[in-house]
Amino acid sequence: MEKINISKGFKIKLSGKPDDSLVELPEPNTVAVSAMDIPYIRPKLLVKENEQVKTGSPLFCDKRDKSIKYVSPATGKVKKILFGQRRRLLEVVIDNYKKDDFISFPSFSRTDLKNNIKEDLITNLKNAGLWQCFRQFPFKDTAQADKNPPMIIVSLNGNDIFSPIPEIMIKNNEDFFEFGIEILKQFCPRIIVTVRESHFQKLGQIKKHVTHVVPDFYPSWDPGVVLYHIKKSSDENLSWCIAVEHLIMISKLITQGHYPVERIITSTKPHENNPHILTRQGAPIILLSGEIDSETVITTGQFNGRIADLDSHIGFFENTLNLFPASESEKMFGFVDPGLNSHTVSKTFLSCLKKDTPMQVDATIHGEERACINCSYCEKICPIDLMPNFIMKALHNDDIEEALQYGLLDCCQCGLCAYTCPSKIELTQILSNGMDNYYKDKA
Amino acid sequence: MNPLKKIFDNLEPHFTGTGKYKSIEPLFDATKTLFFFPSPKTKFSPFIRDNLDLKRYMSFVILALFPVLMFGIYNTGFQSGLAQGQKFGLIESLLVGSYYVLPIIIVSYGVGFLWEIIFAVIRKHKISEGFLVSGLLFPLTLPPTIPLWQVAIGISFGVVIGKEIFGGTGRNILNPALTARAFVFFSYPVSMSGDIWVATQKTVDSITGATALSITGSQGKGIITALTEKGFDLPNLFFGVIPGSIGETSALCCLIGAAFLMITGIANYRIILGGIAGLIITATLFYLIPENYDTWAHAGPFYHLCAGGFLFGISFMATDPVSAPGTNTARWIFGFLIGFFTIILRVVNPAFVEGVMLAILFMNVFAPLLDHIVIKYKTSKRIPNV
Repeated sequence: MEKINISKGFKIKLSGKPDDSLVELPEPNTVAVSAMDIPYIRPKLLVKENEQVKTGSPLFCDKRDKSIKYVSPATGKVKKILFGQRRRLLEVVIDNYKKDDFISFPSFSRTDLKNNIKEDLITNLKNAGLWQCFRQFPFKDTAQADKNPPMIIVSLNGNDIFSPIPEIMIKNNEDFFEFGIEILKQFCPRIIVTVRESHFQKLGQIKKHVTHVVPDFYPSWDPGVVLYHIKKSSDENLSWCIAVEHLIMISKLITQGHYPVERIITSTKPHENNPHILTRQGAPIILLSGEIDSETVITTGQFNGRIADLDSHIGFFENTLNLFPASESEKMFGFVDPGLNSHTVSKTFLSCLKKDTPMQVDATIHGEERACINCSYCEKICPIDLMPNFIMKALHNDDIEEALQYGLLDCCQCGLCAYTCPSKIELTQILSNGMDNYYKDKA
Repeated sequence: MNPLKKIFDNLEPHFTGTGKYKSIEPLFDATKTLFFFPSPKTKFSPFIRDNLDLKRYMSFVILALFPVLMFGIYNTGFQSGLAQGQKFGLIESLLVGSYYVLPIIIVSYGVGFLWEIIFAVIRKHKISEGFLVSGLLFPLTLPPTIPLWQVAIGISFGVVIGKEIFGGTGRNILNPALTARAFVFFSYPVSMSGDIWVATQKTVDSITGATALSITGSQGKGIITALTEKGFDLPNLFFGVIPGSIGETSALCCLIGAAFLMITGIANYRIILGGIAGLIITATLFYLIPENYDTWAHAGPFYHLCAGGFLFGISFMATDPVSAPGTNTARWIFGFLIGFFTIILRVVNPAFVEGVMLAILFMNVFAPLLDHIVIKYKTSKRIPNV
């Protein structure tokens, strides 16, 4: 077990940390497979409205690789298929019959794993809609099954500060986790398991599988940050990563032979310590969040998620909901406010004197967009030592070569550059658009 | 509801949309946002944003300039009194000082903002806060006797040529306030050198308005003796009760401002510390050369540090993030070379008694090159990912 030294990141305490308990929600009336959190997908629908589906039936596949399927997490009827602008698929909603009729998939035992059954595993995972659990750097796109990854990074912590904690996700699933590690070894001998420092001691029997411990501030546990800090050569840029809950899902599928439907979600609110929620994959947001007023937004990650509508459903790659106020305010003489409760990474508010008080956040910009003044606040906080201001200028100049040289593809889209920018430039958006454009050029 | 808010809400329709005064919307917007801090909803991730914005960033520089400004006003009044053979008290000095200094500041802000508004209207963008600082920095670098029309022309040159033709705040190569000063310095040398450092109605004969840097020793008399005889001993230079540009005389006030900027992280400490190190090292080297005992070459690092406008320049001008380099190593080099060139200009070049303005402008030009070299080196250290 090794400790990764990361010095830069978001070190402010935020209020709304979920507590260590777990509650189970009643079966949702509808579930959905969302396409909004799937990177670069070009979906091709395989079902029509009102069609009956079983748990594990494919709903749509990816046109780029039709063998990669997205399957139904419940048994029922396809209620509606929602499209957004330019007929972009948003989600496939299913009426939940609340009684599972599973499609069965072949199962494997520990002894099977002693032989090379990689090809069988790949086919199995693709049919069961779990291959996409593997994401491949640098774009965090769905992994290419015909490539051998140099390493696979398993992250025990999720995308947000308040994502479900590993102890709860692993509880009663220890054997599945260990089996999952065995499965990963079919793909690549080098498995990296990372966990936040504060959770390491609570992991019990799986402690021995942890290879790297990371500091306790966001986004040290992000696989992209971990990769940047441990990679030794450019071959490792094509590593894969997988989240721990997906690993457990894969291992449940392989042992039990049917699609695992349970997910653990957190729904956080400032000043509340909400419990973790056990529910079905693809549950409706409103069931998880409860009723909210019009001034509240729900995101699936304060720094790197999306804004989730109240009537939509949680996606396959999401396990955190943050509810926080978004009321546009016009504070009188706000620019000279002493700011006892204003969260900031700078030292221009009195709040920097009380580091241990959890701060409350809201979804407003706190200012107006201005030109970049080269203050390097973004560079000072970037966990992977990028210079977002210079990359932004290179991208504005359409100089993708220069942006790549500066390390654009290392960007893990943690959102800290745009968080900290005093000129309120949408740096994260600009960088991720730059990456997307490069991805499209390449494809 | 807040009555002030009501006024703005009532006025808003006239300045936006199809309103009668739509063309000067930036002016309305700037005034409104000065009173009411805007905070619109975030549209893209990250959904939470830091509370620091550019208005606060710039107002912190103004805050740091406050001691310098107040002392500048006091000193202008006090020197004026001395020239008339009187010793003014605190209030009297401040009043007399205000009489000379405030018009310069008002002209600088007024004319400069006019240009800012014109460009904001033409380019249809919001007025940037950067000028709040430039508009105050420029008057502080001027002698209190400067004719107001020269202030107006100077700041016009600084804003238009120094900043707006490059695209506005954030895109300028040179520091606008120093560009303005350089313009006045070279265009109106009569107003910027010689016995112009004390503003007064009538002068008592024995007083000359020279600055410390224009003094040299004579045969057999070292520079420090000469300085002390004229009243420029180290404590006077440090506290700043001497003639000079409005804001530059007090090393103490500049250091207070610099400390404030460094602690709050608004100015990059690397530039300030690098600059002071560069100045001290270069001055010491010249001090160690035997010869030239009667010139500033032999004044030693502390006299060089406290005399002239170096501390003012390095704390407030060189740390302007736009015209300084954007990488940390380059900032050290940038600061160091400003210190170095300041001494070189003061000691070796007899044409200019003060070197800091030219040193900073010179290094402004080289800042992108320094950045380029540092970034090249940094990217060569990265594991390539293409």
